[in-house]
Amino acid sequence: MKVGVVVFPGSNCDRDMYHVLTDVFHFDAQYYWHEKGLPKNIDAVILPGGFSYGDRLRAGVIAAHSPIIKDVQKMAKKGIPILGVCNGFQILVESGLLPGVLLKNKSLNFMCEWTNLIVENNKTPFTNQFKLNQKIPIPIANGEGRYYVDDDTMKKLKKKNQIVFRYSEVVNGSSNRIAGVCNEDGNVVGMMPHPERAVESEINPVDNKPSSLIFESLLSKIGATK
Amino acid sequence: MSLEKQELLDLKSKIGREPTSTELQIIAAEWSEHCSYKSSKKHLKMLPMTGPLVINEKGYDSGVLDVGDGYVVTAHIESHNHPSAVEPYGGAATGVGGVIRDILSAGTRPIAIFDGLRFGNIENDLQARWLFKNAVTGIADYGNCLGIPTIGGEVEFDECYENYALVDVAALGFGKKENLIKNHAKKDDLVVLMGGSTGRDGIGGSQFASDSLESEDRSAVQIPDPFIEKLIIEAVLQARNDGLIHAMKDLGGGGLSCAISETADALEIGIEMDVDKVHTRESDMHPDEIMVSESQERMLIVTSKTKLKKLEEICKKFRIGCSVIGRVKFDNQVHIKKGSKTVANLSADFVANATLLDLPSKVPDYLKNIETEKKFKPISNYSKTLMKLLASPNIASKIWVYGQYDHEVGIRTVVKPGRDASVLRLDNGKFLSAKIDGNPKHCYINPREGAIGCFEEACRNVVCTGAKPIGMLDHLQFGNPNDPEIFWTFLESLKGLTDFAKTFDIPCVGGKVSLYNETPKGPIKPTPVIGVIGLIDKKPSIQQKISKGDCLLIVGDTKDEMGGSEFFEYIHKFVGGKCPVVNFDDSKKNMKSVLDVIKNDLVKSVHDCSKGGLAIAVSELSMTNLIGCKVSLEKVPGEKLDIDRILFSESHSRYLLVCDKTNLSKIEVILKKNKVSFKQIGQFGGEKIQFFNGAKPVIDLNVEKTHKIWLHALPNLVLHGKKSV
Amino acid sequence: MAIFDVHVIIENKPGISDPEGDTILNDLVLKGTHKTVSKIKTAKMLKFTIKEKDKKSAQSKVKEICDDLRIYNPMVSKVTYTVTQE
Repeated sequence: MKVGVVVFPGSNCDRDMYHVLTDVFHFDAQYYWHEKGLPKNIDAVILPGGFSYGDRLRAGVIAAHSPIIKDVQKMAKKGIPILGVCNGFQILVESGLLPGVLLKNKSLNFMCEWTNLIVENNKTPFTNQFKLNQKIPIPIANGEGRYYVDDDTMKKLKKKNQIVFRYSEVVNGSSNRIAGVCNEDGNVVGMMPHPERAVESEINPVDNKPSSLIFESLLSKIGATK
Repeated sequence: MSLEKQELLDLKSKIGREPTSTELQIIAAEWSEHCSYKSSKKHLKMLPMTGPLVINEKGYDSGVLDVGDGYVVTAHIESHNHPSAVEPYGGAATGVGGVIRDILSAGTRPIAIFDGLRFGNIENDLQARWLFKNAVTGIADYGNCLGIPTIGGEVEFDECYENYALVDVAALGFGKKENLIKNHAKKDDLVVLMGGSTGRDGIGGSQFASDSLESEDRSAVQIPDPFIEKLIIEAVLQARNDGLIHAMKDLGGGGLSCAISETADALEIGIEMDVDKVHTRESDMHPDEIMVSESQERMLIVTSKTKLKKLEEICKKFRIGCSVIGRVKFDNQVHIKKGSKTVANLSADFVANATLLDLPSKVPDYLKNIETEKKFKPISNYSKTLMKLLASPNIASKIWVYGQYDHEVGIRTVVKPGRDASVLRLDNGKFLSAKIDGNPKHCYINPREGAIGCFEEACRNVVCTGAKPIGMLDHLQFGNPNDPEIFWTFLESLKGLTDFAKTFDIPCVGGKVSLYNETPKGPIKPTPVIGVIGLIDKKPSIQQKISKGDCLLIVGDTKDEMGGSEFFEYIHKFVGGKCPVVNFDDSKKNMKSVLDVIKNDLVKSVHDCSKGGLAIAVSELSMTNLIGCKVSLEKVPGEKLDIDRILFSESHSRYLLVCDKTNLSKIEVILKKNKVSFKQIGQFGGEKIQFFNGAKPVIDLNVEKTHKIWLHALPNLVLHGKKSV
Repeated sequence: MAIFDVHVIIENKPGISDPEGDTILNDLVLKGTHKTVSKIKTAKMLKFTIKEKDKKSAQSKVKEICDDLRIYNPMVSKVTYTVTQE
């Protein structure tokens, strides 16, 4: 089963994500450069973190105009699992695949620290192995990570179960402490924290099992063969 | 322009004619202190630069260490002091960029950044606060965008840096030995300039870096573009994988002038280049400007005609500029043309090797009575004193700084910043530990012993993680070398470092000298900054949570060495006294024993005892574990001392070990066998940090409250101008 | 005394590069169909509302504040002020 890792100029978590997909969870992962298209037989797409186009103008906005995004949009419509992490989340938001915006953190600084997520929706392809309200120790690393939606959209998000992850405490001023959301169909998920930095015990000072469930959820959804 | 009269005469007699303006510019750039090391080079040779793990090849801008299994680690250190003092955001950011390209030019991927920052007293100096804040943001914005973790460093404030800034950046790279660039060139190979365009920014930067700030021309500001740098990294590494690079050099100080002449000199070739082929930002640039522009994010690559097309395709993919600006000849000349017209034609060897100086030196007058202590008012409340120190800018937690740096990207960071040294995992199952340390307060009082102390402290930090030091980087920062007293402090520091490196078999794998660091009030204190790289074969020592009943041991003697201590300088506002001196025998024994204890998996935590002394080191253990500790000062090994000395002396070679009760006797066996001085001095538990002298309580602080103050003191001061104690 | 709006535009001096503007131009605008654009420069704008006796003193007061507090760095930035009365 094929997982595509989309690479933009300035992506910098692509290699980390690729390592986790292939060496830790044994997916058949492939890089796809932003100017190319995605093949039809792909089973999941991941937009990794980084600073696409140096975060200029607004994080994710220039990458959202890349040719490959048209294919990502098509796949999203077909129900293929798509995950955007950090800058990948910002790109999904800027390309209209996910609701909301990501604003500058309340501290106005880039923030790199370990925090805890709470699983709010365990029906998505990336959370189906979690118990509801399960805690995930995970690091964040972003400057524009404060999720914001207006009140009406927030009501809709809640009604349609689109809030996937929340921070266990106030981290950066996000509306409702939201750390990750999905589209109405649930197949497109975006999250600010970095699961690829938390799945190996060697570099996770707390517990690597919960974050591993994100990738195990995808495994159970699309199956793994190499 | 800062070509000396004698240098101008040398130039004229060598070429037998009047030099062209371009030739003058090239020579001035290349013979500046910054590029030529003319004042220091003669002496730097004393440092040991070879060792079983060191790989020496021509033309490398970084040191290369063999870490086994076909892998290498590269290391380099640079500073960007003058630019950062004028424009801290861009200066600090482009400082990161420069050192990263040095790592890249060996053909290795940069995997870690360290930064050492020094400013004036931020408690009352608003300019220092502004410099500090913006330098941190500059480093964060640059390093984070590159996706290279900033995993360590240090921040220090001292009045000697008023209106000035020291921004030191070290970087590590990692790669396969077979992928190292073997700098070579064949006749008719092409010289390619890759990366950002050449503009007027940064013109005269290297001469600017070698002039005192007072007299400088402040146009030499460089604008950082981390996005282009990231693309250059990926493009270069792909070109490396495809075997397209014959030789490579980063464009740093002196711009094209230095890159061209140093490449030609190192490879013993000639290079003919045409300034019209350089992709410039503005159309009306003069050849002289093109040759000395220090526009950032550019690399010089030597490749063959057949490989050019592939290299151009890679550059196109990563949307970066790529111009063939010249070709390799075998006449050893640097021949610069504008179209068909020659604007400079000089021998590469002559350009790249300025006449080295042998500057006079003399013991500084200020040292005569520096070791004499004055009588101090006795401390009435040591709890208050400790709290004051914990909230002081030099000792307070630096989480506000490293929390702005992505220190996780690259998924190698096993031990995170905020500990003694950070640890990275390598692809061959080994681990790399690294730390940079400086201590201008000690170095001012005794340049030799102070420098050795910095070296030993960096070693100690690396040892605390279970690593054996395998290489050292030195960054020697001093004032104007033409002042014999300043030059003496430089020589003393260098001699000290050399002695320690030789005794401990730690080769110097890279370094940098930064002179002319002068503020409007005079020279900075001698500020050598030493980086130490350690290797861990099996498993690093990872701090485990300390729990009730755990024992606290100290290894190493505490001595009456208060000179340059935070206690003297921050509490008593006194500069002087006898600074700590490293005893080489004890240092070696203690290092070995601590590594033995770690190897046998007997400790929960190992912590270096340094700035602020024992009281600070114990508090840090307590605060980061949120558990109290009771310490008996009379048990602390060493000569009999007054309480203030035991608490705050900054004697070297000391380590704090924390272990479970059940391991205590096993640890004692190892330490005894190694004949080191040690004692169990305390036990963890409760909610208070307590120091006793016999039955008499000396210090009593609540851990949680102390932790909060220590944690928030720095942002409170920087952001809100509020002192916490 | 009257109320004035003073707009302060801070941008890089001519000849000093502007990587953000360049990226927006080359990677966004020129990749679309808008080929007539030749330059984009980024700038930061601060809008001051200030009570002063006339236009001139409103501008000089704001200028004084910007210089005093290092609101821009004269090494790299150029500043333009426009004043309007509310």
